[in-house]
Amino acid sequence: MPALVLIGALILYPVAYAIWLSFFDKHSFFPASRWVGFGNYDRLLGDPEFWDSLWKGVVYAASTTALQLVLGVVSALLLHHPFRGRTAARALVLFPYMIPTIVAVIVWRWLLNETFGLVDYTLVAWGLVRQPIVWLGVDHIMTSLIAMSVWQFTPFVTLGVLARLQTIPLELYEAARVDGASAWARFRYITLPQLRAVMFVVILLRGIWMFTKFDTVWLWGEGAGAGAEIRTLPIYTYMRTFTYYQAGFGAALSVIMFLMLMAATLVYFGFFWREEEAAA
Amino acid sequence: MMSTRLLAAAAAVLLLLASTASAADKKVIRLWQTETEPQTLAVLNQIAAEYEKTHPDVSIKIEGLAWGDLEKKLTAALAAGAPPDAAHGQPITCVSFAAKGLLRPVEDLADSLGKDNIVDAFRGLCRWQGRTYGVGHSPASSLFVYRKDLLAKKGLKVPKTWDELIQTAEALKETKDGQVVRYGLTMTGQPLFINIGVGELLKTNGGRLFDDQGRPTLTEKPVIELLEFYKKLNRVLPPGWTGHGYLDTFANLANEKAAMLYQAYGRGVGYIEKYAPKEIADPDHFAVADKVVGPSGKAPAAQLDCEPWMIFKDAKGGGEAVDFLKFFFKDENYVPYLHSVPIHLLSIKKSTTKNPKYADNAMISKWRPWVDMQEKYFKNDWIKPVLVTDWDDMKKPYLLEVMGSGILVDMVFDAVKGMPSAEAAAKAQKRVEELLVQTGYLKK
Repeated sequence: MPALVLIGALILYPVAYAIWLSFFDKHSFFPASRWVGFGNYDRLLGDPEFWDSLWKGVVYAASTTALQLVLGVVSALLLHHPFRGRTAARALVLFPYMIPTIVAVIVWRWLLNETFGLVDYTLVAWGLVRQPIVWLGVDHIMTSLIAMSVWQFTPFVTLGVLARLQTIPLELYEAARVDGASAWARFRYITLPQLRAVMFVVILLRGIWMFTKFDTVWLWGEGAGAGAEIRTLPIYTYMRTFTYYQAGFGAALSVIMFLMLMAATLVYFGFFWREEEAAA
Repeated sequence: MMSTRLLAAAAAVLLLLASTASAADKKVIRLWQTETEPQTLAVLNQIAAEYEKTHPDVSIKIEGLAWGDLEKKLTAALAAGAPPDAAHGQPITCVSFAAKGLLRPVEDLADSLGKDNIVDAFRGLCRWQGRTYGVGHSPASSLFVYRKDLLAKKGLKVPKTWDELIQTAEALKETKDGQVVRYGLTMTGQPLFINIGVGELLKTNGGRLFDDQGRPTLTEKPVIELLEFYKKLNRVLPPGWTGHGYLDTFANLANEKAAMLYQAYGRGVGYIEKYAPKEIADPDHFAVADKVVGPSGKAPAAQLDCEPWMIFKDAKGGGEAVDFLKFFFKDENYVPYLHSVPIHLLSIKKSTTKNPKYADNAMISKWRPWVDMQEKYFKNDWIKPVLVTDWDDMKKPYLLEVMGSGILVDMVFDAVKGMPSAEAAAKAQKRVEELLVQTGYLKK
């Protein structure tokens, strides 16, 4: 019973209130509201900014999740093998995930500044580029945001995959070696299938978290005119609610975001179960 | 022995409880303000401590907020039903909040400064339907700063028009081994300052953002010319200017990475004093001039940086906040506050400007031309708050929503990215119209 009350208060009520609010034309800080039915949703579908921010959100979430997955698995495999200083390396790899987002953003913005930043200085000094790359300008701000996010969140994947790697029975590899399996074959037919469950959770969580990521994106674009180039759906929802003062429209945006994530999760679960059944 | 220790421990606990209870009994007055430099916060906390000495039942909590964040944080606090008792705001924020019935009139605070003592240009900073809802803490004007020595070295004159600014910026650009070592001009791409720039530059081009009926006028010739100007600026500014913050541009100027700064402010001298080579850290090298004028304009224009103190209507400590602000504006407190950022925090009170204690400041003496330039703007009424091109615009309570929407920023960047100026303006016009219709300020 207490658990039900807790779930109701912390999850069901806010979701239900957001859905209810989305049917009203409501100012962000005035109590008065006007029933508009599906008016906010109708407006939203015809709003080019919504589609633009949705696309940017998909690009950001898909690319960061894919890169985190690849780099996370590679780094976990490297850290799984014994080598001198492995313990220190494992601790170091977790570092980006442990530091506060605001610190990470400030440090990276400083490193990537094209006037006095270390990254451009090094690239120019080594002759890799002729002119500094404007990482925070309109052309590259999405790329730099993706790179920074991958740097910050890959340790989560590394940690999950590394934990699972340590529980794979060594006998499986020994048997494969006896059968003459190559390193690639052992990875393809032993390691990867053993990682399926953890990869499923990691992709699901990271996909959802990157699609709804607010703090990193906001801080990366805030204070930069190029911020519009990384105006993802959560940012646009925040803007509608707190800078346009349209709480009803903002609620409709958050409901749509919630429904999209629900749908994507169900499709993903369905796909996973079908694969599991086929494998069984 | 044991009982003595127990007794002492009990007494200590009782004392602790008593002191906690006395702190809890105090009425906490929360003030949010935009002056975040450490020395200013120290002065403000000192003033608060002095006030608390004579008002033991009150605790003054002053929080510094970044200028660009203020509106968003105030809005979030209002939405949560927990605004501070008093806060700074842009003049358009103050008008917007007053129109929405969120503020308490502050004639009592304004009157306490002296009926005719407020500098003329700032009396109408936040008025709504004949009442005063805000009193500015300290006025400043945006400034155009240039390296006098570098212009002289190249035989260049101080630019007076938009075209001359572009030409001068091109001429001042310096390269070494194929690398740019100094740009001619630096500007910030921060959204707040793009909004400021749009209003300010439009004014210098004889333009406006809204007509008398409150309809946006973004497709008018001065706006199209403004967007063309931004395209030209984009070619002479550092390639990363869209990502440069307000303080980055001060750093560019002080570190000799740029020769001119269009949107400078008095606080920039702090950066120059700290980071520029000592032998050039003076107004003979970092000089100020009138803002450049657009092809359709006649007079310079600048942005008024003067956040009014606002008191929230539902604040439990509104009366105490006003009382504290009256104390704050007394010269013995106000002068140290102004001296904490001397060229940026000018006086809103005529009497303070004349006070010898105020003038007795080494920085003010040294950087006098910067102060004079700002006062020239005040006297000529060349300054307006963000997005205001005419004082009558202050009667439009929706400028805050227009600023917050970022539509004008998007318009500028659409043009800068290559969209034809007329198309970028038409797109923004449609979006502003939609916003005003949706918010009920404009009929379809």
